[in-house]
Amino acid sequence: MADKEATVYIVDVGKSMGERRNGRDLTDLEWAMKYVWDCITNTVATGRKTAMLGVIGLKTDGTDNELGDESHFSHISVLSEIKQFLMSDIRELGERIKPSSVDKGDAISALILAIQMIITHCKKLKWKRKIVLITNGLGRMNSENLDDIVSKVKEDNIELIILDLTGRRGPDFDDAEYGIKEEDKDPHKASNETLLRTITERCDGVFGTLEQAVEETEIPRVKPVRPVASFKGFLQLGNPEEYDTAVRIPVERYPRTMVAKPPTASQFVLRSDLAAGQEGPVSSTAVPETQPEDGSNLTNVRNLRTYQVSDESAPGGKIDVERDDLAKGYEYGRTAVHISETDENITRLETTAAMELVGFIQSERYDRYMHLSNTHIIIANRANDKASLALSSFIHALFELESYAVARLVTKENKPPTLVLLAPSIEPDYECLLEVQLPFAEDVRTYRFPPLDHVVTVSGKVVTQHRNLPNDDLLDAMDKYVDSMELKGTDEDGDLVNTPFPIDDSFSPVLHRVNAAIRSRAIHPNDPIPPPARILTQFSQPPEHLLKNAERHLKRLIEVADVKKVPPKAKGRKRAREPEKPLSGLDVDSLLHQEKRVRISPNNAIPEFKQTLAQAENIETMKDAVKQMRSILEDQIRHSLGDANYDRVTEGLGVVREELIAYEEPGLYNDLIRKLKEALLKEKLGGDQRELWWLLKRSKLGLIEQRESELSEVTEEEAKKFMSA
Amino acid sequence: MADDYREDDVVEEEEELDEAPRPSADPKRQSYESPATAALKCAYHLMQQRIISNPRDMIGVLLYGTKQSKFYDEDENSRGDLTYPNCYLFTDLNIPSAHEVLELRSLVQDEENAKKILEPSNEPVSMANLLFCVNQIFTLKAPNFLSRRLFIVTDNDNPHGDNKSFRSAATVRAKDLYDLGVTIELFPISQIEHEFDTSKFYDDIIYKASPNDPDAPAYLKPDAKMNDAQDGISLLNGLLSSINSRSVPRRAQFSNMSLELGPNFKISVSGYILFKRQESARSCYVWLGGEKPQIAKGVTTQIADDSARTIEKWEIKKAYKFGGDQVCFTPEEQKSLKDFGEPVIRIIGFKPLSTLPFWANIKHPLFIYPTEEDYVGSTRVFSALYQKLLRDQKVALVWYIARKAASPVLGAMMAGEEKVDENGIQKIPPGMWIIPLPFADDVRQNPETALQVAPEPLIDQMRTVIQQLQLPKGVYDPQKYPNPSLQWHYRILQALALDEDVPEKPDDKTIPKYRQIDKRAGGYVLDWADELEKQYAKITADQPKSTTLAKRPAKADNPDKAAPPAKKVKAEAGSGNIQDEVQKHFEQHTLSKLTVATLRDFLASQGRATAGKKAELLERVEELLETKF
Repeated sequence: MADKEATVYIVDVGKSMGERRNGRDLTDLEWAMKYVWDCITNTVATGRKTAMLGVIGLKTDGTDNELGDESHFSHISVLSEIKQFLMSDIRELGERIKPSSVDKGDAISALILAIQMIITHCKKLKWKRKIVLITNGLGRMNSENLDDIVSKVKEDNIELIILDLTGRRGPDFDDAEYGIKEEDKDPHKASNETLLRTITERCDGVFGTLEQAVEETEIPRVKPVRPVASFKGFLQLGNPEEYDTAVRIPVERYPRTMVAKPPTASQFVLRSDLAAGQEGPVSSTAVPETQPEDGSNLTNVRNLRTYQVSDESAPGGKIDVERDDLAKGYEYGRTAVHISETDENITRLETTAAMELVGFIQSERYDRYMHLSNTHIIIANRANDKASLALSSFIHALFELESYAVARLVTKENKPPTLVLLAPSIEPDYECLLEVQLPFAEDVRTYRFPPLDHVVTVSGKVVTQHRNLPNDDLLDAMDKYVDSMELKGTDEDGDLVNTPFPIDDSFSPVLHRVNAAIRSRAIHPNDPIPPPARILTQFSQPPEHLLKNAERHLKRLIEVADVKKVPPKAKGRKRAREPEKPLSGLDVDSLLHQEKRVRISPNNAIPEFKQTLAQAENIETMKDAVKQMRSILEDQIRHSLGDANYDRVTEGLGVVREELIAYEEPGLYNDLIRKLKEALLKEKLGGDQRELWWLLKRSKLGLIEQRESELSEVTEEEAKKFMSA
Repeated sequence: MADDYREDDVVEEEEELDEAPRPSADPKRQSYESPATAALKCAYHLMQQRIISNPRDMIGVLLYGTKQSKFYDEDENSRGDLTYPNCYLFTDLNIPSAHEVLELRSLVQDEENAKKILEPSNEPVSMANLLFCVNQIFTLKAPNFLSRRLFIVTDNDNPHGDNKSFRSAATVRAKDLYDLGVTIELFPISQIEHEFDTSKFYDDIIYKASPNDPDAPAYLKPDAKMNDAQDGISLLNGLLSSINSRSVPRRAQFSNMSLELGPNFKISVSGYILFKRQESARSCYVWLGGEKPQIAKGVTTQIADDSARTIEKWEIKKAYKFGGDQVCFTPEEQKSLKDFGEPVIRIIGFKPLSTLPFWANIKHPLFIYPTEEDYVGSTRVFSALYQKLLRDQKVALVWYIARKAASPVLGAMMAGEEKVDENGIQKIPPGMWIIPLPFADDVRQNPETALQVAPEPLIDQMRTVIQQLQLPKGVYDPQKYPNPSLQWHYRILQALALDEDVPEKPDDKTIPKYRQIDKRAGGYVLDWADELEKQYAKITADQPKSTTLAKRPAKADNPDKAAPPAKKVKAEAGSGNIQDEVQKHFEQHTLSKLTVATLRDFLASQGRATAGKKAELLERVEELLETKF
């Protein structure tokens, strides 16, 4: 559990905060709130009940605080007591944060009030206490009782942050070292600043400029996760139950990488009372014309699960069964295997938790792409010097031998074992084993691909010069281009050095984009979502300077590579294509000619249809082939027992469609499918075959539209309409 | 419902085998394996494997050249002429049932039964007829499947000799199969005195490209010829490894994706997943009310929480929970949040492979291979890049969006060389691998710990131990380690489905070879343990007690709890060992006097679950001690 937190934000809402300065679109207050909202929404996003915050308005029109009777404390209002902030609080605060019409109100008094709030709220319990004060430094500040403030802040261990709004980075502000002052400064400004600076210094707090703070909010915050051991047990060599020579080192395992998932949206529907109102006739009572989608009118969606089994005799072929009548089971092929409650764990392999060494491999003979999972680290049982010593010798020995260990890991009793690879990691102040899962035999798919550095011809000859192989020019150009695109950093002397992979400053784009959007929508429900922060896409393009460096090499590479884009139309066009031939190159088509297949036989329809088209010399032959196919398909439909032939029909139609697109005769298909649809819907083909039409729709076997074939006369809308009926 | 749509990635196969077993020179020799039984064993193996890896795939087995014939309801006894003489449809094309697995196994194992069915015919079978038979099986049983394949296992390279009309009939029927979308895969078996020559007949019926995946580069390198030599085992192994390598149709994760090497310079590639954890199928509900057990299908209806009315899909709105309320976006906004551009693999720059940290990994890699479909010349450019990265041991940093609206990933793209096994069959294809990298958000911080660096002498001892225990050739070969829990799961299911006895002990290849470890490294381990004691004594002497104690959490004050990493003899010799303590209490029947913490520590040291109440813990400890000590 993270520590309890209490933060009080003091926001200067004085009249002068309503101004726009330094060429900003935002008023000073809006700008300040940019930072405050960021902090608040970050806290709200955690959803933690123990992360609380309060807000004090400084220089408010009225006075609303418990010490308000004293004049020091006038024009200070507690906008929100310390509590867990929720959406309603955000909305309320949004309403109340507006520039006031006064510039009166003492920042120091507000500070005292904030301290008071924290003391009342946290008492002497364990809390992380924090006060953030944002002000433009104008107005009177009372410098009495400073010592009391400092001692209180220190005593309660409150973190104090004061942000000056007018401050800008660089020498043009009242930086102590430069001493340049702005001309139009409030007479109090200088002394106020010194005052605030002194306080923060004496409280070990931070005095900064808002500009800096706002800039920092743009760097995504990485949520730290407290390490939780995923395994505590022994690293074992040998079997201690059978052999006296077995070794066990007590170790702990922690995640090293774990994907941080973006928040997921949940499903909601309009509350039933509202939904009913919407569906019904427009009632005379005032229904808001456009309901704001603020979530308060939504209700959760629940999933209800029912179970069905097929039963030929039942209408629809299915009957509902009760959950209680079902046993747990598995499929073995198409056989259902049920498992009685007593043997519930019968298929589970019995294991005991341990990390057992299987053997060692050479690190240079391991291929990095075999890594199958996220990674973990293994350290010795904490506060066990002997274990630490023992593991350290193992880590160093692996390192010196340039070896990795293969181990069998079971993290908990009866969990499935995994094989993991252990690599040594030695840093000056940290030693551990790095662990990643290895594939089992079943995890490897053996797809085969031809070699990339030579070509084997059909006859088995090895060729090293081929259009699919790079010539020396291309190899050379690639060599230079790759070298010129090396990602390097510069050290202090400006020399190029190898830098680590940019993992620490690459941020998960979707995660932070979604988070930022939610937060922005929470505060400004009616604004469009802001575009993604630039930092999220910094690695989506090669760096400019690198491209400039590599420009001429890329130009040459493009030249010698001579890569040509295939025009979209050329794909899949058949008319001019060579007929496919077997490996021997035998001309099967001429054999087919001899065969004289006049009619397409229904039991070999697809091949014969294709072959007829391939040999067709005129459009009439094609038309005839399509006609024959139609009657074959219609026969299949007519004689289908239930849905027995539906798959065949779907496949047959699919082939006809594909072929006619390839032969650029979309009209023939469109004609066919129109007639077929009509026949199906009018039940002309042996009864109710609507389900087949539904199946054809799902298989996307509708009209061929212009997008698919230029010669089609069917527009997209027309095709859509055809399918919708 | 969209999810009840049959997966379109189903494969079917037919095993065919020619030739009945020929009499062996020495009938008593058990190791002899005829081509026919070897092929059947492969089919059996494949069927079992497929039930695990692709439970929706259909498999059928058709024997040909048999004296008997069988095709659906036709056999010798039926009237009229046989449509497909000398073809025996042993297992119909379907998702195999437990019964069919059993039948095939009995054919493999039961020789008497086998002899009857496998009796060779006197007349040669017509290949044209056979191919049409196959055509009909596919047309009837699997008309609308994406991938359909025919595996032919045979040792006869010239079934029709010079008979021209038979040959041309066969080639025509083969073309039919090709047009139907069926790919033929040939597994030729050579004989001692006769090398299988594909040019005699089979080159006329086999096509280069698969009709479904025309742009897929064909793998033309012929398998090492399998020899029907004296050694039957090697024939079986060769055949198995060859069939295994082709058992799964190549399925692309994406096709014709742009690989952008630089601005305005793209080639096209396809992506495949070659490594991925195979999980066992999830459990389901079985309905036992009918004649035979049936799988019940779950149907989900969505209802509104407030009124329990059924809701339609279009009514559903997506919202994020935030501050106890919901924050809504329109569907378009929702979409735009995930939109970071068109799918692409874009090279950002290059880095040495050595700078890629071992730990920078989050999941399995993606394999990519060039295609000429969108850009002509892709293959040669890809090859040039591949060769360069391989030679200089570099990787490319890539920005990778797999699909429209898929989350962008930063990846390291490395070149991987082709690897072949001892039979010359490709194990790892040549190509490039994209390794997804973690973002800063995905990296966890190391927990703090006190470091004790081992002194040289202790490291030296451990080095000797490690040197004794190298895996063969110093490499990890996944093929040697089947997943024990997955295999066990299906082994038990098979036994239950076939009503057989449940096997006692799993065959777990991942369990370390304890005996060998003891034999080879035992002595060195003892030396190391001695050294460890010495060094440990040194540290404890050096360290002022107070500081260590202060820093340690309360738990560690009890020296019993940190089980010493020493050999068992020593551990037991030490006083106050937790094991001894528990054992002592067990013998005196006073286990219940031990604290929950002690019981947990003891259970944990035995690799057992530590959850539960004290009574449960006690039960577990007793059970453990009764069986073990």
